[in-house]
Amino acid sequence: MKKPTLVLDGDQIGFNLGETVYEVAERSGIDIPTLCYDSRLDPFGGCRMCIVEVEGSRNPVASCTTKAMPGMRVKTAGGRLDMHRRVLLEMVVSENRELDVDPLSGYASQELKLLADRYDARSGRFNGKQSGQSFEDDPNPFIKRDYDNCISCYRCVRVCAEQEGDYAITVVNRGFETKISTEFEGLLNDSACTFCGQCIQTCPTGALGDLKALANREVPGETKKTRTICTYCGVGCSIDVLSRGEKVIGVLPAMDGPANKGALCVKGQFAYDFVGHRDRLKTPLIKNGSGQLEPASWEDALNCAAEGLSKAVQEHGRHSLYAIASGRAPNEVAYVMQKFVRAGLGTNYIDNCSRA
Amino acid sequence: MNFTSNQEIILRWKDEPAPLLGVLQEFHDRDGYLSEQVLRQIAKTLKIPVADLFGTVTFYHHFSREPGGLEAPRVCNGPICRMHGSDDLLKSLEGASPMPCSGRCDQPIPVLRGRETLVGLPGSDLERKPSLMPPVLPDNMEECVFVDIRDPRRASLEGYLNSGGYDALKIAIELGSEGLIKLVDDSGLAGRGGAGFPTGRKWKAVADASGNPKTVVCNADEGEPGCFKDRCIMDYDPHALVEGMVLAAYATGATRGFIYLRYEYPETEEILASAIREAYEKKFLGQDILGTDFAFDLYLRRGAGAYICGEETSLLNSLEGKHPFPRNRPPYPVTNGYEDLPTVVNNVETLASVPPIVRNGAHWYQDLGIGDQGGTKIISLSGDIVRPGNYEVPLGFSLMELIEDLAGGCALGRSVQAVTMAGLSGGFLAGGDLDVTLDEPSIREKGSFLGAGGIMVFDDTRDMVKVAFQAMEFFAHESCGKCFPCRIGTQRLSERLAGTAGPTDLQQWLDEVIDLGKTMTETSACGLGMAAPLISSSLLKYFPESVSHHVTG
Ligand SMILES: Cc1cc2nc3c(=O)[nH]c(=O)nc-3n(C[C@H](O)[C@H](O)[C@H](O)COP(=O)(O)O)c2cc1C
Ligand code: SF4
Ligand code: SF4
Ligand code: SF4
Ligand code: FES
Ligand code: FES
Repeated sequence: MKKPTLVLDGDQIGFNLGETVYEVAERSGIDIPTLCYDSRLDPFGGCRMCIVEVEGSRNPVASCTTKAMPGMRVKTAGGRLDMHRRVLLEMVVSENRELDVDPLSGYASQELKLLADRYDARSGRFNGKQSGQSFEDDPNPFIKRDYDNCISCYRCVRVCAEQEGDYAITVVNRGFETKISTEFEGLLNDSACTFCGQCIQTCPTGALGDLKALANREVPGETKKTRTICTYCGVGCSIDVLSRGEKVIGVLPAMDGPANKGALCVKGQFAYDFVGHRDRLKTPLIKNGSGQLEPASWEDALNCAAEGLSKAVQEHGRHSLYAIASGRAPNEVAYVMQKFVRAGLGTNYIDNCSRA
Repeated sequence: MNFTSNQEIILRWKDEPAPLLGVLQEFHDRDGYLSEQVLRQIAKTLKIPVADLFGTVTFYHHFSREPGGLEAPRVCNGPICRMHGSDDLLKSLEGASPMPCSGRCDQPIPVLRGRETLVGLPGSDLERKPSLMPPVLPDNMEECVFVDIRDPRRASLEGYLNSGGYDALKIAIELGSEGLIKLVDDSGLAGRGGAGFPTGRKWKAVADASGNPKTVVCNADEGEPGCFKDRCIMDYDPHALVEGMVLAAYATGATRGFIYLRYEYPETEEILASAIREAYEKKFLGQDILGTDFAFDLYLRRGAGAYICGEETSLLNSLEGKHPFPRNRPPYPVTNGYEDLPTVVNNVETLASVPPIVRNGAHWYQDLGIGDQGGTKIISLSGDIVRPGNYEVPLGFSLMELIEDLAGGCALGRSVQAVTMAGLSGGFLAGGDLDVTLDEPSIREKGSFLGAGGIMVFDDTRDMVKVAFQAMEFFAHESCGKCFPCRIGTQRLSERLAGTAGPTDLQQWLDEVIDLGKTMTETSACGLGMAAPLISSSLLKYFPESVSHHVTG
């Protein structure tokens, strides 16, 4: 069957049934502005920044919630669309305390600021009461809750529910009084929050901020981003490690990570202090005659381990050994480990810590 | 302490359809508030994340979370009641808080205390009073919905059956569901809840949609300020509504139905509950209705103080126990309604119109209208007029004739300065535009709409900027907070109309108000945010001098 098509800013474009107008546009390289959108979440339709003109429809429609239809004629910019986008942004800017937040706040933290500049929305129009209420005395060590900068896009609430399945935070009240909070408006520590940091990373304003990264704000040097894999477990979440000089200053989830698509858990997101910790082992250690650990070369260490293992098998039999593979090891390493235990040591006593 | 009995209540609701509102209301009525312990227990048993449940409860303004909250008086501060001194009444009652228009504009000022509605003006005693009966019309005016409502026996099933009750259902069974839909379609009946969608087409869409079970929902949320017609129908003719729902179910193949009643009508809840009980007893509800294999179950659910829950998709989310934000459309409820299945959502007046239409025929109904207009519309008329009340007039009837001739006009020496349309949602009409007839084409031509038919009259002594502010404050109070233009726009427009923020330069002030309005109208996610700026734009249109005076002092 021939693929259905629509006309997008004059170009005929094929699409798959079920795709939204926004998805088709994004795929075609058209940059429609959004604020409440996160491609991993169900489209919400709140910010109305993604409006487009659809021929035959009196009012513009939200492209993130509108399904592409065969023969649709769509315009994504210009005319009243740009006017409305500017007015919407001027409104949002008017309810917030600050636009310019440190990029260390989180992955998406610059979205509002960039759009405000793109649409020239720092006009100071529409002043009035500001919304939100900061929760600066939440004593948790990870998440800044500065709702003075919250624009009620509910991305945090939705990511927590849809991505993380934790349902730790919620939308409280309604209208201009809306705020983000936990059950009975308590502290994050007392809620179902697992401190995965997902909400921080999807927040488009820095209202939710990465406290650990922000604490490194003053570390000198250029911020360098290094793509790597979280070392904590076998899932293999992709991360971008942020560093300045020799110091790791933060971790961003990789939105394009094949295993995690931007998700992390508290360990991958926040538990990177071991990298520069003074207790961290830098060489193998071997116990000397008096039971003291002493630095050794890898060759000496491996020889020592091989000797010890062989001795145990000789003296107590092969079933005297039992191996547990680390949950932090990927599949390949776990495979090699069981091979070593079965073929090398001759026992089937092998398990994994995630199961044991 | 209450653990076992709490759990019994929750388990009893657990297997009911749409359990959440029911269980919350039961505890709210029993304890006088919703305690943290009860909410945690409900969340656990109904398997709702506790944070979600908490957030949803905070959405509804009538759910109290402090002991004693249920009994604390709530005083209407809608536009009409404010003209009658509701601010003073509020101050004089201990622990009282304001609530938006609660559908008694023909009999101000309502005070809700627990499950009781009292009415009275400041300085007089508050009394329990039944709703007002619709004023009797001149002999030459024929009614459809109200024709038998003044018969005092009408609210009982026996009385209802004595005046033609359930004849329509018998006729419908003869016609078959397709024939019934065709009849309703031919009558030209259109939604009376605000949007005016043709009822026959809506029913056909549900009948044709795949997916079962199908549902009929009666929208009895009547939250629009200045509207009190649905209350009158339900109080005095509840069986007409029940029969209307049975007919809708028969037409569409629906097997379950809900009446979603606004919180502010506790007495009506009792009337409806007993009507439903009677209808079950006499087998007009339940299995094998009238000896056929047609079955239909009807449930009553009560809202908890949120105007937006009258918007049909917000209502459906509310019934489903979800956060009551409106849904993104399409898809529409006719295919993806209650529990994502085909659903009819109809207003009380729409449904109550169906039995007389079926009894008397499509042409009879058509002919009730004037000129090109078919049918009738109930107008809830209130404000500065001698005889406020519900008037069922032919569509196409003149507005000024209604005000002057039927309702006695303004008080002696006063004249009409402005009226609102569609409650507050249609903004104001004034000056030469008061010359409209009561039908959508005529009123839409003036940039407004008839909608649910609430009309509030303001005489020449009223400060229209102040009225506009109160109206916008209502929309800000009721904005659900889902979409940016409405959440922020209603707030900013309220501030500008109150004079608490905004430019002092007239041109800048106008630019801001006009820009906010345009963006709200054209980009809001639902009808609330789209309609709210009609208040400000019609104020600018009819009262430019008052606006200029308001801004520059
Ligand atoms: C903000 C808002 C509030 C509404 N409130 C009500 C209401 O209280 N009662 C009602 O019947 N319809 C209300 N509606 C209209 C409903 O969405 C829906 O169109 C109607 O219930 C359909 O029934 P009908 O076709 O019989 O009119 C409201 C719509 C909006 C946008
Ligand atoms: S850190 Fe994770 S679990 Fe906690 S609120 Fe944010 S998204 Fe939810
Ligand atoms: S905290 Fe951030 S993500 Fe959450 S609603 Fe506010 S602005 Fe959106
Ligand atoms: S227009 Fe207002 S009420 Fe409707 S979805 Fe938007 S915020 Fe909610
Ligand atoms: S991105 Fe579409 S409405 Fe926010
Ligand atoms: S009942 Fe008070 S304004 Fe309608």
